[in-house]
Amino acid sequence: MIDFLQMIASGIAVGSSYALMGLAMVIIYKTSEVPNFAQGEMALIASFFAFMLIDSFGAAWYTAFAGALLFAILLGCFLEYAVLRRAKEPNILGMIVITIGLEMILLGFVSWKFGADQKTMPFPISPYDSLVIGDIFVSTLELLTLVVALVIMLVLFFFFRFSKLGLAVKATQQNPVAARLMGIRTNRILMMTWGISSFVGCLAGLLIAPTIMQPYMMWDPMLKGFAAAVMGGMTSLPGAVVAAYLLGIIENLFGGYVSIEFKSVVAFAIIVLVLCFKPSGLFAKHYVKKV
Amino acid sequence: MNRRLLAVLLVTGVLVSGLCSGVMAEEGVTDTEIHIGSWGPQTGPAAAWGSVPRGTDAYFKMINANGGINGRKIVYHSFDDSYNPAKTKAGVKELQEGTGMFAWVVGVGSSPGLAVRDYLMERKIPWVGPAAGSLHWIKPPHKYLFGVYPLYYKEAKALVRYAVENLGKKRVAVAFQNDEYGKNGLKGAIDELAAHNLKPVALVPVEFKDTDMKPHVMKLRRSNADMVLLWTSVGHAVRLVGTSKAMKFAPQFMSTSTCSDFPLMIHISKGLWEGVITAAFGELPDSDNPLLQTYKAEAYGKFAAPKERWGVFYYAGILFAEPLVEAIKRCGRDLTRERLVKELEGLRNFKGIGPVVNYKPFDPKDPNSRQGTHATFLVQCLKGGKSKKLTDWITIR
Amino acid sequence: MDMKRDYYEDVQFFTSGVVLFWFVMLILFLLAYPLMVKNYHVYVANYIAINIIVATGLNLLVGYTGQISLGHAGFFAIGSYGTIILMTKAGFPFLLALPAAALIAALFGFLLGLPSLRLEGPYLAIATLGFGLTITQVIGRLDLFGGREGLHAPDLTIGSWHLDTDVEFYYLLMTLTVLLIAAARNIVRTRVGRAFIAIRDADLAAETMGVNLVFYKTLSFAVSAFYAGMAGGLYAFVLRFIEPEIFTLMMSIMFLAMVVVGGLGSIMGAIAGAGLLSWLDLQLRNILEIPYLGTWLETLSKSWFSITGVSNIQFIVFGLIMVLIMLFEPLGIYGVWIRIKKYWRTWPF
Repeated sequence: MIDFLQMIASGIAVGSSYALMGLAMVIIYKTSEVPNFAQGEMALIASFFAFMLIDSFGAAWYTAFAGALLFAILLGCFLEYAVLRRAKEPNILGMIVITIGLEMILLGFVSWKFGADQKTMPFPISPYDSLVIGDIFVSTLELLTLVVALVIMLVLFFFFRFSKLGLAVKATQQNPVAARLMGIRTNRILMMTWGISSFVGCLAGLLIAPTIMQPYMMWDPMLKGFAAAVMGGMTSLPGAVVAAYLLGIIENLFGGYVSIEFKSVVAFAIIVLVLCFKPSGLFAKHYVKKV
Repeated sequence: MNRRLLAVLLVTGVLVSGLCSGVMAEEGVTDTEIHIGSWGPQTGPAAAWGSVPRGTDAYFKMINANGGINGRKIVYHSFDDSYNPAKTKAGVKELQEGTGMFAWVVGVGSSPGLAVRDYLMERKIPWVGPAAGSLHWIKPPHKYLFGVYPLYYKEAKALVRYAVENLGKKRVAVAFQNDEYGKNGLKGAIDELAAHNLKPVALVPVEFKDTDMKPHVMKLRRSNADMVLLWTSVGHAVRLVGTSKAMKFAPQFMSTSTCSDFPLMIHISKGLWEGVITAAFGELPDSDNPLLQTYKAEAYGKFAAPKERWGVFYYAGILFAEPLVEAIKRCGRDLTRERLVKELEGLRNFKGIGPVVNYKPFDPKDPNSRQGTHATFLVQCLKGGKSKKLTDWITIR
Repeated sequence: MDMKRDYYEDVQFFTSGVVLFWFVMLILFLLAYPLMVKNYHVYVANYIAINIIVATGLNLLVGYTGQISLGHAGFFAIGSYGTIILMTKAGFPFLLALPAAALIAALFGFLLGLPSLRLEGPYLAIATLGFGLTITQVIGRLDLFGGREGLHAPDLTIGSWHLDTDVEFYYLLMTLTVLLIAAARNIVRTRVGRAFIAIRDADLAAETMGVNLVFYKTLSFAVSAFYAGMAGGLYAFVLRFIEPEIFTLMMSIMFLAMVVVGGLGSIMGAIAGAGLLSWLDLQLRNILEIPYLGTWLETLSKSWFSITGVSNIQFIVFGLIMVLIMLFEPLGIYGVWIRIKKYWRTWPF
């Protein structure tokens, strides 16, 4: 029983970073229908930016983290403004390939600048400290990630539901033409969503970085986050978060009770099963195409 | 008519003499140069291994700065293959058929190496010191392929033997990377335990893609092991140790020579690597071995790229190339591939910064005729990345 | 001039004498190519040809049927492993083992096509991506497939013809490539191809017109997987050694990128895209040896970046080329070609 509870706790802990990446992908997908493959690398370059501030300029970690988050927002806006908006007659596949190209460029820059050596981000909370609740261990850093993920989810949820800007985002997503006719600058809204998404992704990156930093560190969280987003319905923020935690828990239970070797791919098998029954994910209304 | 005959004769003469000179000198060797090729990933997920060929590069530059070998300078051609065998094969073919390499050295990775092994062997081109822990190099042995890399099987035996005999550990668990590298270590551990009538209490495979080590540590903890052998990549080993600490599980950890770069390990584990015992393959980074210090000052100090780290992977690139350089030296001015193979076979108790190297005349049935190194020693990590030698060189047969 | 007047004119293989002429020239060039260049370039040609086969097949799925797949490395792996296992364990001759393995890949394609009946866009992308990742994991687990230690390809003989050089393999590979491309071209022009296109443009409309969605969607997956399987089987003999880690997600992504960069829904486009991207993939490692540019990059790295990571410039160039092509021409290389053709045809207007 203790084992079981421990696995659930570990699953929730690991699910938090998937949740942040999933949220980031959903935000962009909601408005522009692009699954953003560069999401992980956008977070990567921002995290390394923080590392650079600490390592080369001797900044304190909080200054560096704030700098990185700001950098992430600017980067997101810039990429949307300078690259994706310039696409002529965009189609979904073309946009996917553009984000893949961006991913390679960003990854190339990070590896070029920082080399492939493994590093860790200086951070006051060690990733290997833990809290003991009953007989269950939760690492402090993961607890922090959990809190951050939940707070971000709530903030985004209220932002999209109640703020004027959030409503504008929603309107843009539902009908861009009508939104523009109502006086919403849809271009600017798109740019903003990229900024927000990049910010959320950067949080995930910064919270992973104290454990290990190398150019490929965001690959796995990005894929799992994408998977969670899809399972949650790709357009639903709480859906992505719930699915991320589900994935984390399933992974851990599967690793504990069935096979530890297939732990890292079981998530995808589950998704195929889920999608067979709920083709638009768990939490999205199934969208029926009109002829 | 006569004039035409003369022209024909002249052209034939030029052609024949051209051909003859081509036959006489060995490919890749001129009066002043020896061309040697190598590859390694400078990009991609395995790029941390890229420091191996860079180390070799600094080593060769040091040799050239000291006048080369027998009046010839080494021209080193190293390319980036991103650990993608298709690219390795392309690069090897391009260099071999374009410039013409005399021999190949280092070459990182088992699948890249295996993609080009047959190509090199069919053309009788020597290849010394592949940088990958695979038994494919020596089983079966190949006449032109000389292994320097440590045999993980033997390292694991040495570690387990020390744990059981000297530390009195009875409950040994193994966490291994689920590939050839990890499984070689696993096999050594199981065999050595069997020799002491013991069985491992837990075997936990780690996938390269795994990032969360909690399920693995839970399995280890449930087995109540008092010694855990980590046969994984550097990143996974650190995370296993760290997660164990977070979960209040504190056995003796032991690990492979891949994780013996203590300053690095201490840095990325935030100090938790202290107390871990590893096998060591060559001298340690801060060892006072005079040869190692020479390399550090003359090769690394003068020719390393800025920000390059004097790490185990880096000078492994020197270590793997030492036997080749020694054999080329022994060839004298008469440098041919056959001669080189003969000189390599003649190496007896050759000692560089690694274990002693011994080869034997080629015997298709004896892998040891092409595996030069058999020894290892054990070290413990101390505070701040310092190290304590626990044993002297141990040779395991 | 371009008007098609009857059905046979639409489906004929060579639309004009000019096309026939260039086709013959191309065949002659392909035949003579290995005699003109170094062995290394023959190897590069082989590598490119294999990617062309995959891209042609993937294009049937992505470009013509409008589905998406991020799991083609999985089919590729099935083809590779299937061919080698059938040859070494079951004693099949190569010419039988290759299509048999490709048929196994096609079977998996059919199975993967089943969920695609209900999925689209990112949902399908994740499902196929999961397939690609899982298949290599399973292969690595099974000892029959050599586990993580990999498999060596057996000697390749067809009848009494022993193919042990790149040049010999080149002729076999080119023959198959040309045949497979021709087959793809024919598929597109038959009922099947028209059904594919109808599904891409509007699947509901296609269904009401009497196109059997279940059949054609799964068929499209199966055919495309068959192509990937064929290419995979041939790839095993280009490398002569395979192991599960070769067939990564990155490989699947590159296959998709080839099709999109080349131009969706055009056979020539897929060929061009595969040619360009796989050539870049092999050649960009030499970027630092380009005169001036190489030294400039190195000084730049010394002052601003790290010299140890300078090879990563490959990624940047690769990504830039992909992004730029897609930004300026949504139809990819094929679109550029069409535009150039139009420009010349109507010149000087």
